[in-house]
Amino acid sequence: MPTHIRLRDGRMAPVEDPFTYVADDQELVPGDVILSLTRFQAEGDRLLSEGRAVGVRLEAGEEVEALAYDLPRIAVVALAFPKFRDGRHYSNARILRERLGYKGEIRAVGDVLREQAGFMLRCGFDAFEPADGSGAQQWEAATRRFRHVYQRAADDREPAFVERDS
Amino acid sequence: MYRYDAIDKDFVADRTAEFREQVARRLAGEITEEQFKPIRLMNGLYLQLHAYMLRIAIPYGTLTSKKLRKLAWIASTYDKGYGHFTTRTNLQLHWIKLKDAPEILGHLADVEMHAMQTSGNVVRNVTADPYAGATADELDDPRVWAEAIRQWSTLHPEFSFLPRKFKIAVTAAAKDRTAAKIYDIGLAMRRGRDGELGFEVMVGGGLGRTPYLGATIREFLPTRHLLSYLEAILRVYNRYGRRDNIWKARIKVLVASLGAEEFARQVEAEWAKSDPGHADLPDIELARIRADFRPAFETLPARSEALETAKASNPAFARFLRHNVHPHKQPGYAIVDVSLKTPGQTPGDITSGQMEVVADLAERYSLDEVRVNYQQNLLLPHVKLDDLPTVWAALEAAGLATPNIDLISDIIACPGLDYCALANARAIPVAQHIAERFADPERAETIGELKIKISGCINACGHHHVGHIGILGVDKKGEEFYQVTLGGSGEDDAALGQILGPALPADKVTEAVEQMVEVYLRERRDGERFLDTFRRTGVAPFKEAVYADAH
Amino acid sequence: MKVLTANRLSDGEVVFWKAGHWVERFAEAELFDEPERAEEAEGQAKSAHTVVVDAYLIDVVESEGLWAPLSFRERIRALGPSNHTQHGKQAAGGEDIAALRRAHGAARSTGRVALIKRK
Repeated sequence: MPTHIRLRDGRMAPVEDPFTYVADDQELVPGDVILSLTRFQAEGDRLLSEGRAVGVRLEAGEEVEALAYDLPRIAVVALAFPKFRDGRHYSNARILRERLGYKGEIRAVGDVLREQAGFMLRCGFDAFEPADGSGAQQWEAATRRFRHVYQRAADDREPAFVERDS
Repeated sequence: MYRYDAIDKDFVADRTAEFREQVARRLAGEITEEQFKPIRLMNGLYLQLHAYMLRIAIPYGTLTSKKLRKLAWIASTYDKGYGHFTTRTNLQLHWIKLKDAPEILGHLADVEMHAMQTSGNVVRNVTADPYAGATADELDDPRVWAEAIRQWSTLHPEFSFLPRKFKIAVTAAAKDRTAAKIYDIGLAMRRGRDGELGFEVMVGGGLGRTPYLGATIREFLPTRHLLSYLEAILRVYNRYGRRDNIWKARIKVLVASLGAEEFARQVEAEWAKSDPGHADLPDIELARIRADFRPAFETLPARSEALETAKASNPAFARFLRHNVHPHKQPGYAIVDVSLKTPGQTPGDITSGQMEVVADLAERYSLDEVRVNYQQNLLLPHVKLDDLPTVWAALEAAGLATPNIDLISDIIACPGLDYCALANARAIPVAQHIAERFADPERAETIGELKIKISGCINACGHHHVGHIGILGVDKKGEEFYQVTLGGSGEDDAALGQILGPALPADKVTEAVEQMVEVYLRERRDGERFLDTFRRTGVAPFKEAVYADAH
Repeated sequence: MKVLTANRLSDGEVVFWKAGHWVERFAEAELFDEPERAEEAEGQAKSAHTVVVDAYLIDVVESEGLWAPLSFRERIRALGPSNHTQHGKQAAGGEDIAALRRAHGAARSTGRVALIKRK
């Protein structure tokens, strides 16, 4: 079971993950599941009507706007990083939070390293499955490295130019 | 220039502490090199042929004496007593140890400097007009905007893992001294119909394997919307720039493949969906930044008798005035070039001792400012005409007064295979050889404006594509060969050079330049520069002269 | 014939493999004439990630009874930059440095000798 970290009351905490990823070619399991975008589009309605919590996993090349209409019903959006250097999901996460108003869990999965903690948190991610063996304590520390930020993002940190004016 | 407030100081301190911890973890083996490399790059630290290279950011090419003295000290304490100014107006130190890097960043932070984002797939150092604040032909000081962009782009959480590096240049003058058309984004200030200020936004310029000149995607963007608009451009790039092929990952490829019109449409659509209030700076913040860019000029007569006397009595000084000194917007002042192109020396290199000399001159004679330009030279932007003889004498004594600005020996050259892990051939010896051949100042003056640019590989850090004569080092079966191009320009008349012919062996390059200069001198009319003559005659006479032996 | 080279992690210095440890002078480098031995050493080097970075094998050629890297790039790594002969390994001087400078092979042509030799 990979480490699963979630932001809870503003702090990083290790938690159990109630969801199971089900690949496109796998049989469904009972309970809460995370599906690929394609599979969600095919089976999502049915599974939701069964009372399950359902999440969607997006690959780096997939666009978050494809979920726009379904967002109120989606419990978690898992954004999969093929390589940590692939930064497309930072935009996806911000769009989910700031433009589409998504309130559910945005989870970083795949090649996820603690050095990205600060960036991810600011873009709206609130759950993390690190691939480098790091844990909640290290993620907490990584997000506290900078006392100030220079620009607005999806979080509620005030940028420097607002701090200066107050 | 911009002075850090408490927030800026906290920021570089936090960044230094973070990097110190990351280096410690790397040395202890807790992070792999693959994981550490992007971190190292985001702090400007490359691993090159002989050692680590630290690229220190010089935002919009502006320094004070205090900063320059610190650079001199760092160079002699941690390196070999010299530094190298680059075509992005940063300073490189070529002999750095990884274990010293955090300490060096700490010293830089003490003088409000850093090495953040001078490498990596992030927004890099923003360059601006080296004449900013000193030239009559500017609409505004571009550095105010460059500083705004610098802060906005620093550790931007959405744009720290772009497909590739991202370079922005800002110019606000009638004459573009930033080569704005060859960068990912070039911002050229314009005045709108009702007198308000805005930017012409050019996107998708870039040299390298597939050179492009930037396309204008927006004729006029009100200045107050600069940052929100940049966010839109960066977001489109971050989402749709190619990530499958490092040679096709720059924004220029995206713009070329979509077409400028479609790219512009996507940016406008993204911008329309955004809330400009989110990213754009409030007036109070712009005013705060702007307040630091107000030099205190004295009221002086436009003419200096001391200068005129010195000029009349000293031909060498007069020559220096002709080439290295430029008109200033304030009567009684001038802009002075500090040439780092002494024939025989490495272009753009400066010793710690020379840095100290320039720092002293800046403090005493240039309102404590020094500039760096993309031609790898320095400038003292605010020198009183009365002080020019003294400044010249001091520069002369330090080997910094070669009267060759924009002349044949004012060569741009990248470090090349002597230092760089990416290079195919050396660039420095080629530059040295050519400069030494044309060292005679009278001959150089007769030839006139001739911009030679040399790159040691296709990455084009030496800007060879936009040289009047461009020279590209290639590896031909293990030997150093050089591809010559003609007719490039990085200015308002921007153009990419045309290939002259087959690549030449190293020992034929200087001769080829001689032959081409002879053709130019023979063919030129009515005050034509080399570039003008080439544009009129085309490549034929030059090609014939260089490859005549082959027939 | 091959030599194994890398950059030292802590300071970036160019180093060469010799019997399980690293030396700074090319002249002291271990020569591999068997590919298996070379690759074994490379594997060991790559796993020592707190010691060196980017370990790789290079080809070497014989010249005047001594060995030199085949490629020009590796000669520069073994010597130092040609614009500052007082910097880098070449500053130590000696016969092995002089021999590297004189070496024949893919990198040399008459014109280049003049460029490499600084006045």
